[in-house]
Amino acid sequence: MSDVLVVIPAYNEEANIERVVENLRNNFPQYDYVVINDGSKDRTAEICRNKGYNMLDLPVNLGLAGGFQAGLKYAWRKGYSYAIQFDGDGQHRPEYIQPMKERMSKGYDIVIGSRFVEEKKPHSMRMLGSNLIALAIRITTGVKINDPTSGMRMFSRRMIEEFAMGLNYGPEPDTVSYLLKQGAKISEVQVQMDERIAGESYLNPFNAAKYMTKMLFSILLIQNFRKRDKKYRGHRK
Amino acid sequence: MTVMLRTVLIIMSVLVLFVIIRRVRLSKARIEDSMFWVLFAMLLVVFSVFPKAASFISGIVGTMSTANFIYLLVIFLLIVKLFSMSMRLSQLETKLMELVQRIAIDENERNRGEDLVDKNQEDFIE
Repeated sequence: MSDVLVVIPAYNEEANIERVVENLRNNFPQYDYVVINDGSKDRTAEICRNKGYNMLDLPVNLGLAGGFQAGLKYAWRKGYSYAIQFDGDGQHRPEYIQPMKERMSKGYDIVIGSRFVEEKKPHSMRMLGSNLIALAIRITTGVKINDPTSGMRMFSRRMIEEFAMGLNYGPEPDTVSYLLKQGAKISEVQVQMDERIAGESYLNPFNAAKYMTKMLFSILLIQNFRKRDKKYRGHRK
Repeated sequence: MTVMLRTVLIIMSVLVLFVIIRRVRLSKARIEDSMFWVLFAMLLVVFSVFPKAASFISGIVGTMSTANFIYLLVIFLLIVKLFSMSMRLSQLETKLMELVQRIAIDENERNRGEDLVDKNQEDFIE
């Protein structure tokens, strides 16, 4: 068994899931993976079953937070040391798992696969949103995160436990901000990401605005009032 | 309060009482959930039958007229109810999430034919 579990949340990814998992299985057999079928309405589950992929088949749609949490519960139960959040649409490249894991072993709690450590952010609406969230995190925690909205994040065993058991631990920038405030050590590794090849993106202007509002509201206001479970407090400062 | 307003309040309250008690009778609502509505309706009946009581409280809280006090009371009670429902929904969704995740993990383990050993429990034994 590998010590890294690749958690692949998939909602209606029939067009991509096979390519993503086959790439992992054929070229990166050193990692274990699990597909989280989040109550997809298309053939995602069927494809995974036919191909014999390791899958958690959620009977109803829980959304990214609930689906990802299912993956981390699985990772926790099976005793993995690291879990990485990995998109089901083929944006993320598995060759960056190794450098992220190496960074992890220097004692970090979370390593973000970041598009903008060495490279400059392009100017676009999307990056304006990313900048706003980065600014909000900087204001509340004093830490600079270059790519807070990157969906490629690796978690340590301790984080796996916390994410698996806790409420309000969605794999989103506001949780990163909260954990930073609590003294978690977070680092970024430069990665390349691909454009989504097939299927439909969830991102449209309306959803993006909703997402931004929720994130900024959460980071700037709500997260400051959260109380962390004693179990996880003060293990690192 | 005008006689008309009192009449309307009484009729509506009795209707609410009738509907909720019927639902409990047919085992379509839990008794805990019926309590709020029964008390709510009974309160309105009491104030309609004894408008002096409502006028008295209205004078104390400064709502100018008795009818205003009734509106304010109703809005207040509904907001409290809405809040408690919102909290309950939040808890329900959390529980549902737990269940769905549990079902998926259990099914995965069954399909993989692995023993249902929790690695963390193994750690504790060592």
